[in-house]
Amino acid sequence: MLEIAQLTKRYGAVRALDGATFTARRGRLVGFLGPNGAGKTTTMRCVFGLATPDGGSVRWDGAPIDPRVRLRFGYMPEQRGLYPRMRVAEQLSYFGQHHGLSRGVARTKAGEWLERFGLADRAKSKLEDLSHGNQQRVQLATALVHDPELLVLDEPFSGLDPIGIATMAGVLRERARAGVGVVFSSHQLDLVEEVCEDVVIISRGRVVAEGAIEELKARSGRRHLEVEVAGSGGRWTDDLDGNTVLERDGDRVKLLVDERADLDALLAAARAAGIVRRFSYEPPRLSELFMEAVNAPQPMDTGAATDAATGGTSR
Amino acid sequence: MSRWRAIRLVAGREIVERGRSRGYALSLAFTVILMVVGFVVPSMLIGEATRTSLAVVGQAPSGLVPSLTATADAYDLQLSLSAVADRAAADAALRHGSIDAALEVPGDLSTAGELLVLERAPASLQAVVNQAVIALRAGPAASEVPEVSALEPPTAEDATALIFANAGIILMFIGIFSYGSWVLTGVVEEKQSRVVEVVLSTVRPRDLLMGKVLGIGLLALAQLVVLVAVGLGLSQLLGRLVLPTTTIGAVVQLLTWFILGFAFYATTMGFLGALASRPEEASIASMPVTLTATTAYILSILVVTGDPNGILAHVMTFIPPAAPMVVPLRTALGAIEPWEIAVSIALMVASIWFLFVVGARIYSGAVLHTGGRIRLRDAWRASR
Repeated sequence: MLEIAQLTKRYGAVRALDGATFTARRGRLVGFLGPNGAGKTTTMRCVFGLATPDGGSVRWDGAPIDPRVRLRFGYMPEQRGLYPRMRVAEQLSYFGQHHGLSRGVARTKAGEWLERFGLADRAKSKLEDLSHGNQQRVQLATALVHDPELLVLDEPFSGLDPIGIATMAGVLRERARAGVGVVFSSHQLDLVEEVCEDVVIISRGRVVAEGAIEELKARSGRRHLEVEVAGSGGRWTDDLDGNTVLERDGDRVKLLVDERADLDALLAAARAAGIVRRFSYEPPRLSELFMEAVNAPQPMDTGAATDAATGGTSR
Repeated sequence: MSRWRAIRLVAGREIVERGRSRGYALSLAFTVILMVVGFVVPSMLIGEATRTSLAVVGQAPSGLVPSLTATADAYDLQLSLSAVADRAAADAALRHGSIDAALEVPGDLSTAGELLVLERAPASLQAVVNQAVIALRAGPAASEVPEVSALEPPTAEDATALIFANAGIILMFIGIFSYGSWVLTGVVEEKQSRVVEVVLSTVRPRDLLMGKVLGIGLLALAQLVVLVAVGLGLSQLLGRLVLPTTTIGAVVQLLTWFILGFAFYATTMGFLGALASRPEEASIASMPVTLTATTAYILSILVVTGDPNGILAHVMTFIPPAAPMVVPLRTALGAIEPWEIAVSIALMVASIWFLFVVGARIYSGAVLHTGGRIRLRDAWRASR
């Protein structure tokens, strides 16, 4: 288990971390979320000793992290970096050896991971001759080659095509099933919602929400009600009180309601307006929880805001 | 994992990656060719080894001249023979430069005689004379060869030693800078490609810097050893330089000071390079080193060569940036005490260690910094 406690870090006048505290359990995929500049990368760099926190602690399995412990971690930094002119297999084996593998084992492991990512035929290519997506795969393989106990990945999905995303997600899931701690940051909230079990949301250097995604959703008082009434133009909601219209698209309306809302009364109101084609009641999306947690202005209101709402939450 | 293993891994990567690069092979080939040309062309132009004039002094034993002529033919040496009346005439002709050497052998062949030269005997001539005299004096004492007497003997070895030391210092200066700049650009490239972040998640900054300096330093040393070997081999082959008896010591000393000088300068270039954010900035960042080294080099050549026992020469012996050039020079000129060498080496090692400790901190602060150029002071603060 990775335990981050009361982490603080200043860069000049900028307070990058302001008492960040959270835990990431082994065997769970943890999405580490936050707006740009919230402190995600700084936290990760503190785990790897690339930044020294002004205060607070980072522990793994109950013990403070030292360089020896760190050899059992795998890291994929936000700004990708490998040796451009070094051959792919040698590069993997090199980093494997830095993590304590013998040369023979490192070579074998490098071969296995290249095979896994479908890059076996590129083993002797220079990294710079690979496509962007394949370089990203090699970068992930670099973090995995020594079978780490903890994987910390900064934006592993950015810039990947759908196939790349599927491969990456598959590998991360498999590692988590094997009991590895997996923490990764991302701005692709729908993807995180699909892939992760847990999330940590950080804002202005503090953790503002943490836990299993399902629990966070359940705990939120917000619910979404999507109703489609044929031929109504969606105007039937104009007479309702205490509910906010999130989206209106023709006959379809998306309402934000309280979890204690009287659904029977709402259904009756919809029926009165016409034939109800759809009536679905759901917890909020992760993206909405995220907006709420970081106090970003909520996309609200009527028809015109539709585009802004989808645009704003799927980033 | 032990720190030594990390250093070795880093050094090994540098050696493999750079050793098989075209740049290394080309630079090795180029310098060797330069060296061969530098040795062969002058000796062909001067033709010293193939045309020599020898005077026979006084009443030579019969058979000496035919024996000399025959041996010279066998050695493919163009020997023009003449005769002088006595030693005084021989001395005068030598000083005048009208002959290269004079041979005086007693008419009864009781001794092997004497070979008179101004400074030193050309190796080929000496071989021919020795052979001819031995052939003439059959008998128990036949293996004796004529004694070589130089009119101005001491300067000969000194001149060779000085040439040797100067060539060594030039090689050292070039080696330190061409390979030091590999360390410099290597550091900037790692920083720019951000791979340094992956490396430093397991390797300590000081170990990364040390490994780099060690790996590239070994490549540089290999090149220097090849060059020295080629140079010595050629000089023997062409008989251009009579190597001083202290050659082995001088080579060992040259290599030692190359290692120390390289470690000193390459480490400094390494952490100064980390301050730059692009390769173009690296040369600006390393300007202080370049200026210091160039100053030390020029002072060594101009001042120390002229006055190897002067105050400046003494002072520079104990200043680490200058010592790698000054000490071998003073040693070659025989103007240094052993204790001075010992103290100088100790100071050098201490300052290299200091540079690694201080430099690694600046290095780690600077190399993990993103954005533009970072100042020395900020880098120092950033790392803790």
